[in-house]
Amino acid sequence: MTVEAPVFEETPPEVEPARGAVDWARKNLFNNWYNSLLTLALAVFVIWALLALVRALFSADYEIIQANLRLFMIGGFPADQLWRPWAATYCFTVLFGVVGGSLSAGARDRATEAGLPHVRTTFRQIVIRFWPIVGLIVVILSFTTTVTPTLLTIGALVAALGAYYLGRVLPRAIRRWTWLIAVVLIVAAYVALAGFGGVGWQGWGGLQLNLFLAFAGILIAFPFGLLLALGRRSPLPVIRTISVTYIEIVRGVPLITVLLAGAFAIGFLIPRDLRPSLVTRMLIAIIAFEAAYIAEVVRGGLQAVPRGQVEAAQAVGLTPWRTMRLIVLPQALRATIPAMVGQFISLFKDTTLVAVLGITELLDATFIVNSQSAYLGKGLFVVTLSFAALVFWVGSYTMSRESRRLERKLGVGER
Amino acid sequence: MEQTRYRPPVWRDVRVLRVVIQVLAGAAVLAILYVLWFNLTNNLRAAGLPTGFDFLTQPLGVDIPGSDISPSSPIWRGLLNGVKNTLALVVVGIPLLTVIGVLVGVARLSTNWLVAKAAGLYVEILRNIPPLLIIFFVFNAVVLRFPLLQESLSIADLVLVNNRYIAMVGFTAQPNFGPFLAILALAMLAAAGVWWWRTRRSERTGEHHHRFLWALGVFTVISLIGFFALRGPIGLSRPVLDGRALEGGYTGLAAYWAVLAALVLYTASHIAEIVRGSILAVPRGQTEAANAIALSPFQRLRHVVLPQAMRVAIPPIISQYLNFTKNTSLAIAIGYAEMTRITFQLIGNGQPAPQMIFLLMGGYLLFSLIISLVVNVVNRRMQLVTQ
Amino acid sequence: MKAIRLLAVLAALSLVLAACTQAADTTTTAGDGTEAPATTAPDGEETTTSAAGGEGSTTTAAGAPAGDGRLAEVQARGSLLCGVNNTVPGFGFVDETGEHVGFDIDFCRAIAAGVLGDAEAVEYVDLTAEQRFTALQAGEVDVLVRNTTFTSSRDGGLGATFLTTTFYDGQGMMVGADGGFTTIEDMTDTTICVLSGTTTELNLTARMADIPYTPLTFDENPQIQAAFIEGQCDGWTSDKSQLAGVRSAWPEDQGGPEALVILEETFSKEPLGPAVLDGDSQWAQVVDWIVLATMQAEEFGIDSTNVDTFTDTEDTNIRNFLGLPVETEEGTAPFDPGLGLAPDFAAQVITQVGNYAEIYDRNVGADSPLGLERLLNELWTNGGLHYPPPYR
Repeated sequence: MTVEAPVFEETPPEVEPARGAVDWARKNLFNNWYNSLLTLALAVFVIWALLALVRALFSADYEIIQANLRLFMIGGFPADQLWRPWAATYCFTVLFGVVGGSLSAGARDRATEAGLPHVRTTFRQIVIRFWPIVGLIVVILSFTTTVTPTLLTIGALVAALGAYYLGRVLPRAIRRWTWLIAVVLIVAAYVALAGFGGVGWQGWGGLQLNLFLAFAGILIAFPFGLLLALGRRSPLPVIRTISVTYIEIVRGVPLITVLLAGAFAIGFLIPRDLRPSLVTRMLIAIIAFEAAYIAEVVRGGLQAVPRGQVEAAQAVGLTPWRTMRLIVLPQALRATIPAMVGQFISLFKDTTLVAVLGITELLDATFIVNSQSAYLGKGLFVVTLSFAALVFWVGSYTMSRESRRLERKLGVGER
Repeated sequence: MEQTRYRPPVWRDVRVLRVVIQVLAGAAVLAILYVLWFNLTNNLRAAGLPTGFDFLTQPLGVDIPGSDISPSSPIWRGLLNGVKNTLALVVVGIPLLTVIGVLVGVARLSTNWLVAKAAGLYVEILRNIPPLLIIFFVFNAVVLRFPLLQESLSIADLVLVNNRYIAMVGFTAQPNFGPFLAILALAMLAAAGVWWWRTRRSERTGEHHHRFLWALGVFTVISLIGFFALRGPIGLSRPVLDGRALEGGYTGLAAYWAVLAALVLYTASHIAEIVRGSILAVPRGQTEAANAIALSPFQRLRHVVLPQAMRVAIPPIISQYLNFTKNTSLAIAIGYAEMTRITFQLIGNGQPAPQMIFLLMGGYLLFSLIISLVVNVVNRRMQLVTQ
Repeated sequence: MKAIRLLAVLAALSLVLAACTQAADTTTTAGDGTEAPATTAPDGEETTTSAAGGEGSTTTAAGAPAGDGRLAEVQARGSLLCGVNNTVPGFGFVDETGEHVGFDIDFCRAIAAGVLGDAEAVEYVDLTAEQRFTALQAGEVDVLVRNTTFTSSRDGGLGATFLTTTFYDGQGMMVGADGGFTTIEDMTDTTICVLSGTTTELNLTARMADIPYTPLTFDENPQIQAAFIEGQCDGWTSDKSQLAGVRSAWPEDQGGPEALVILEETFSKEPLGPAVLDGDSQWAQVVDWIVLATMQAEEFGIDSTNVDTFTDTEDTNIRNFLGLPVETEEGTAPFDPGLGLAPDFAAQVITQVGNYAEIYDRNVGADSPLGLERLLNELWTNGGLHYPPPYR
C-alpha cells in the first residue's frame, strides 16, 4: 500500500573536525545555548529510554515466545513434518549462495576483462552489511529449546558458503544457466513443502506465509506490471486507456480493500465450481494490486532510457519489437532494480494485512497467542509484538540498505 | 514503371494492425468484464442476495461506536458516518505528520550530533515496521494502558484522559456570540491593514517589517477587548465525568487516537526522509551565500533552504498524504469505525459483499482523486514560481 | 540479454506457480452443490458386500455413493474442509503446537471419521465471524462448525442449512466483580465489548435499545480480551459458554475467576450447531446423522473405551447402530440406513473421537478448565434437550 520514499545517498551530517572528546562535544553537542539545551533534554530522554528498554529486556517473560516459536515461524505446519520447512530453507540458502557466488564471479570477470582491479567484498563488509540478519537469527535460536535448530542453522550457513564457492568456480558456460538452477531450487523448495503428502500454501502460516506472499506476489505480478507499463506508453489509445484506468484505479484504493474483495467478492466473480482457498485469493488480490505499482516502477525505468537510444536503434533498422527487447528493456529494467526492491519491502510489510482476514501470519500469530490460557491477561502484547516488529524491521532495514547500495553501484539517477 | 507507393499486404500494414490490435484488446477487456458481470449477477441470485443497491435503505441493525446513529437508521447513513470518521483521521493527521516529518527531517541534518542521531534512529526504526503492527502496538501497549475510566487523568478540566477516550475542552456560543464574530472580522481587517502598512514601510525605509508580529498583536488586542466588553461571548465546555457519563468537550475514542498516533508517526518517518533528501538536493552554494550575507541559521533555513527544498519535496510528500489516507483503512484492525471498518461489519451482518466493497473502493478513489487534483493545482503553482 | 533471461525466469516461475495453484485448488472439481439430487439412495448391494466383518474396515472406498454431491466430493478428495474458529478456548482454538483443539473441532473430526474413516483427515479453515457465511456460500468449506447460531435469516437468506444443535447456549454479560453491576439495567453509560458480525452484536443492540451505552466492536476474541483486561470496557457480552471459558482461564494475577461475574440474565437463545450449504440434502443428512450418532452413543452408554466390548452384544438396536452384522431375511448383513455412509460409520466416530459426553467433558465440561455443567446439553433422559431420533 505504501510507496517507499525515494532513497537518498547516505551523507554524514556536517561534523566539524575536532581534537579530543571535550572539543568534539563542544563543537557537536554544545556549540550554542539552544543546542546545549536540546542536547541535555534529549540526553535525559535517551538515557531514560535506554534504561527502560534494558529493564524491559531483562524482566520480560519470554516463555510465550519460546512456547510459540514454531507457530510464529511456520504457523500450523504439522509437527511431524518439520523436515519440510527445513528442506525448503536449505533450498533457499543454497539458492542465495549460488546466485551470490555467480554474480560475484561475473563482476570479477568483467573487472579482469576491463583491466581493473577486482575489489572483493571482505568479511568485515559482510558483517557490517548483514549484522541485523545475523543478530535476528541468533535471537530466534536463543528461543529454541533443543539444539537441533541451531545445528541445522549452522548447517544451512555451511551449505550457503559451499554454494557460494561453487557459484564462484562454476565455468562460464554453466554460469549462464544460474537462473535455471535458481528456478529448479525454488521448485524444489515448493515440492519439499507441499509435494508428496506435504502441506500446500493454503495451510501455511507464520513468517513462512509472509515471505511466500511477498515473493510469490512480486514475482507473479512482475510480468503483468511490465505489460501494463508498456501498455501505458503504447501509442495505441485503446490499450493506453485500458492500462491507465487499471493502474490508476488500483493505485487509488488501499490494499486492504483489495484484500477484502479477495476474501468476500472473488467468490462471486468466478464460476462457483472454482473454489480457491483464502490464501490463494489473498495471493490473487496481492498480485492484482502489485501489478499496478510495478507498472509505475517500470514506467519510471522506461522513462529513464534516453530517447536517443530508441532513435539510434531505429537508425540501424531494428524493428520496434527488437528495439524494445534489445535496447530499451535491458536498460530500463536495470534502472528499476532499486525501486523494485523498495516495492518488495513495502509488500513484505503489507503482507501483515492478511491478518485482518484471520490468516495466521506472523503478526496475527504474535497477537492471538496472548489468549492462550497460560498467557491470558498477562499483558504480553509488548513482548510478542516486539518480536514480530524485530523480524519485520530486520528484513526491511537490511533490504533497504542493500537497495541503497545497489542504487549507488548501478549509478541509477546519475545519468 | 516504378511504383511510387509501396502497399504492404494487409496483415503487415501498420495502420490496419493498429486498428485490429486495439479492437481485439478492447473486445477482450469487454468480454472479461461481461463474464465477471454475468457470474456476479448469477452468483448473487443463487445465494439469494440482492443484485442492486436497494439494500442501502434497509436498517443498519447495529450500533456504531462513537456515534449516535440509531440502529434503525438506513445503511447509507452508517456508511456516511464511516466517511466522516475517515475524514476525521485525515484532516487531523495530515497537518500533524507534516510538522513532525519536517522537524525530524531537518533534525537529521542538525549540527548537533545527538539530535541528528536521535532523528536518524526514529526514522530508521519507524520506516521499517509494518504500519499495522505499529497500530496494534500503540493500541495494545500504550493506549490500553492509559488510566481506567474511574481514575481518569484530568488536566485542569481541559483534557480528560482514560483508556476509553481522550476528551478535550470545547467551546459553546453564549448570547453575545454573533456580535463577537463581527468584532473578530473587524480585528482581522485591522490586522490585514497593519500588515500592509508594515510591508509598505519596510519597502520604503528598509527596516525590518515584523509584519507578522504586528498583525498578530493588533488582532489579539482588538479581539480581547471585544471578548471582555461582551462579557464572555464564548463559553468553555469542559470535559467532566458524571458517574460514568462524560459531559461536554470534544471526544475521540481510544482507537481513534491509537490509529492517528501510529499512522502519523509512521508516515512522518517517510516525510522526514523526503525532507532530508530535498534539503540535501539544495546546492551547497545557496547555504554558503546565505552565510555570506550573515543570515542566522534559522533565517537561512526559513528563507533560503526550505523554500527551495520544498519545491523538490512537495510531489513525493503529497504521495505520502495519499498513502496516509489509504492507510487509515488499517483502523479496521482495532475497531475504529471508519469506512473500511463499517463495510466489514456490515458484510459480517449479511449485507452483499460485492456491492459494499464496490462502494468502499469508490469512496477511496474519490479521496485519491480529490488529493490528486490538489496536487496538480499545487504543481502548476510551483512551476509558475520557478519561472 | 540479462533482462530477457530475468523475464524468462519470471515467466517460467509464474507458469509453475499457476500450475501449482491449479493442483492445489481444483481438487474440488466434482460438484455444484446446489444441483445435487435430493436423496440419492446408494446402491444397497454395494454397501452390503462391503465391510461385512466390521473390524478395521475403512469407509473410504466402501460407501462411495453414485452421485456428484458434496459427499462424493469429500470422499474423492480424501479430506474434510471444516470451517472453524481458532480463538475460542474450549470450542475452537489453536494450541501451542499449532494444533486445532476444542468442542467444535471434535465434531469436525467426528464427521471426518464418519465420512472418511479417519478422524485426522480434516483440513481446518480458520474463519472470522464476518467470513464464515461467505466461505460457506462460496463452497470453500464442506461444513461450518464454528459456534454458529441457528437463526431464520441465516437459514433463509445466507444459504446455510443448519443441522442438529450441538450446544445450547445463551448470550450473557460478563463484568468485573468489583464493577457494582448486578443486572444489565445497571449498565447505563458503560462501554461494552462485542464481536462484530455476530448475532451477539445484534442481540446487544436490541437489548440495549433503551440503555445508553457505547459498543466496542472487534473482529477477534484476543482483541476483546485485551480491551477487557485493561478495563477499556465494563462488560463483555458473548455466548455464556465462551464467557465461562474466559472466566475459568482468568489469570491469578488478575484476581482469578472470582474477579469476574457472569450476570444472571440470558438475553438470547443461542443454539450452536454445524451448518452446510443449502441444496445438498444428502450431505446435510450425513453430517446430521454423524452428529446425532455421538448423542445416540451416549444414550446407549457406548464410549470410546468400551466400544469394543459391544461386538458380541445381543441388542439389535446397538448392533444396527454399530454396523455389526444382524440376521435378516437375506442372510447376515449389517444394517444400512441408506445415508451413503459405511454401515460402521458410527463405530468409527465413537472409536476415534468419542461420544457426546466424552467430547463435551474433554473440551468444555468437567475434565476441562471451563468446567461447564451440562444443563440444557444433557440428554433428554437426564432432562436436557438432546434427543436423537431413533436409529433404525
